[in-house]
Amino acid sequence: MSDPVDEDLQTQYKLRLFITGSTARSARAIENMRRICHEHLHDRYELVIIDVYENPQATKDLQIIATPTLVKILPEPLRRIIGDLSDKERVLAGLDIRPIEAKKVV
Amino acid sequence: MSPREAAVESLSFEQLLARLQEAEETLDAIRLGHVDAVVVGGPQGQQVYTLENADRPYRAIIEQMQEGAFTIQAEGVLLYCNQRFATLLGRQRESLIGKPIGHYFGRGASAFMALLAHAGEAGTGAEFSLVHDSGEMIPVTVSLIELAGDLNTPRMICGVVTDLTRSLQRSHELTAANAQLASEIRDRQRAEAGLQLALDAAEMGYWDLDLTIGDGRTSRRHDDIFGYQDKLRDWSFGRFLEHVVVEDRAAVEKFFGVGRTAPSIEFSCRIERAGDGARRWLQVKGLSYSTPRGPRLSGVVIDMTKARETEEQLRQAQKMEAVGQLTGGLAHDFNNLLGGIIGSLEMIEARIAEGRVAEVERYVDVALHSAKRAASLTQRLLAFSRRQTLSPKIIDVNALVVGMEDLIRRSIGPSIRLEVIGAAGLWSTLVDPPQLENALLNLSINARDAMPHGGTLTIETANVRLDDGQANERDLQPGKYITLSVRDTGVGMSKEVASRAFDPFFTTKPLGQGTGLGLSMIYGFARQSGGQIQILSEKDRGTTITLYLPRNAAAPARIESDRRPLAADIEGAGKLVLVVDDEPSIRMLVAEVLNEAGFATLEASDGPSALRIMEMSAKIDLLITDVGLPGGMNGRQLADAVCALRPTMKILFITGYAENVVVGSGRLDHGMQVLTKPFTMNVLKKRIQQMLPG
Repeated sequence: MSDPVDEDLQTQYKLRLFITGSTARSARAIENMRRICHEHLHDRYELVIIDVYENPQATKDLQIIATPTLVKILPEPLRRIIGDLSDKERVLAGLDIRPIEAKKVV
Repeated sequence: MSPREAAVESLSFEQLLARLQEAEETLDAIRLGHVDAVVVGGPQGQQVYTLENADRPYRAIIEQMQEGAFTIQAEGVLLYCNQRFATLLGRQRESLIGKPIGHYFGRGASAFMALLAHAGEAGTGAEFSLVHDSGEMIPVTVSLIELAGDLNTPRMICGVVTDLTRSLQRSHELTAANAQLASEIRDRQRAEAGLQLALDAAEMGYWDLDLTIGDGRTSRRHDDIFGYQDKLRDWSFGRFLEHVVVEDRAAVEKFFGVGRTAPSIEFSCRIERAGDGARRWLQVKGLSYSTPRGPRLSGVVIDMTKARETEEQLRQAQKMEAVGQLTGGLAHDFNNLLGGIIGSLEMIEARIAEGRVAEVERYVDVALHSAKRAASLTQRLLAFSRRQTLSPKIIDVNALVVGMEDLIRRSIGPSIRLEVIGAAGLWSTLVDPPQLENALLNLSINARDAMPHGGTLTIETANVRLDDGQANERDLQPGKYITLSVRDTGVGMSKEVASRAFDPFFTTKPLGQGTGLGLSMIYGFARQSGGQIQILSEKDRGTTITLYLPRNAAAPARIESDRRPLAADIEGAGKLVLVVDDEPSIRMLVAEVLNEAGFATLEASDGPSALRIMEMSAKIDLLITDVGLPGGMNGRQLADAVCALRPTMKILFITGYAENVVVGSGRLDHGMQVLTKPFTMNVLKKRIQQMLPG
């Protein structure tokens, strides 16, 4: 029987962050997302940043209606988080990640 | 039920809850202004509508950049431009908006409008001139791109304008710099070609060597001098040295060693040329200089072979001229002496015919005196040509000086005081005593002539040790020498005279009083004896001439003087002498003298017949032979053959001049002696007595 903690640690995250050019909010969203990935996902993730100016059609498939928006494609279920991602707890909850510190206590 | 309702229907309660939460979050974010843009799907695809603040960074970039930027309608009416574009035109930005942009392109307006008509989403561009408010034309490139929009929006074009003034200026400067550089290169090439031409004209080869690693480069002429048909790709000191003949290599290496520290080098050496292997004389000159990568030496080589040959020919010609002068001068003396001899002999003949035999002796004396003077003249000539045969003996020079004192005193006269200072414990030396006596007498007479109003003549001997430096200065081997100095308190010599004192025929004496051969003969004698002669002179203070003679550690022999008259006949009884000469009269004379003295004689006219006699008769005690003999065997070869048969055989050479073939290095083998023609019968007898004592 596999350890649920280990299983959690092995989960691969497939993430897309939609931004709009070089606005301050876009920059903040990128910065926040990188930090969260670095602290909680280590090398278990694939993050692609998409500028909707460059690639407007990419918004269609994932039904993006505003930027910045982070999309968790995997693991399912698909989840969208809108805004500059400065509310870390909300982001972690949205991505269905328990903080690593919490796991250590368990 | 619609498809959307059907999709919702299939979701679980939790999934619906999550969707609701996501929708509320999205609405909140939009309502609170937490987004930069909204994306709206439509028939033309997804459209991004940014909020005003999202455009701010681009606005800042457009205003900050060094290019002019504008947006225009399809007809060219200016909708927007940045400050830089207004500055390029030298106008207020506000005055430009709404104006047709073609106006600012001057004569290029229609070309710009044509470009504008074709500007698509892929973009296009061209160079134009903008008309500044001052009337000045500004060179620019203009890039145009059509802004994508929906069908309802009017066509809009963006433009970027780059000022080319500076880059054109830079390019002009570069062109000018290039032209300048090209001209300098041409000048330098011309200078180098000129230099090469000059070197070629001077027949000089150029070389340049790296002193650290030894490699270098050379000119075509240089390689030609070293015998290479084609230009060499590489050259090195090692390769140069391979060409230098073995005898010169050490010296050349030394010169190049000096080149590392000295500013310049110059020397001559011989090389073996590549190809024909000919030996050539080279003159090498070089200057050293330093580079960041180490010291280098650069210079020229000149083939001096032809010049040397010419020089040699000139020297030979000068020698012939000297011989001519000598012959002319001496012919006069000889004729006088011959006159005395012939005259005397005629007188004798006449007196004998008249039966007045008692009166003959006077004429005999005169003839003999003249003949002896002639003999001495030939000796001097031989000494001059350094062909005289020395018969060196180990002697005490002090004793020789004492023996000469009387004669010198008589020669210099009463007005000059003679001082003789013989060093105590003077080393012995190996010299030919009569030659040294001759030299001393000659020097004393010179000293006398330098003191016409009297003075002091000092003859001094000393022992000296010459170290490397002193010996080198005097061109002698380092070691022990004795010196014999002749010092006068006379008129002295100027430097010019002193420097030429040893030159043959150089004399300061009036015509007819000196041959100019004295000092040069003494010089020849000193050098042949392994010594040297040195001259120290000061105008009006006097002259000191010093002979250096090498020390010989053996005990000195007693000096016998040739001037003493010879005691009577020799005891020749029972001794057999073989006389070899191609001249019958000489053979006869010598045999007669020997017979009178009690010797038995055999005669031969050439070498081979003499050898045959030698083989048949084992009793021969002495061989007297002429050096120049016919029949393919000279006197020396005969002597060698005889020595092979009878190693202890005594041999006396008779010769008109002492040839090198006889004496080798100028000295005789043991048991051999030389008698130089002309000689008197008395001398012959005495010599035979010496060789066959008892």
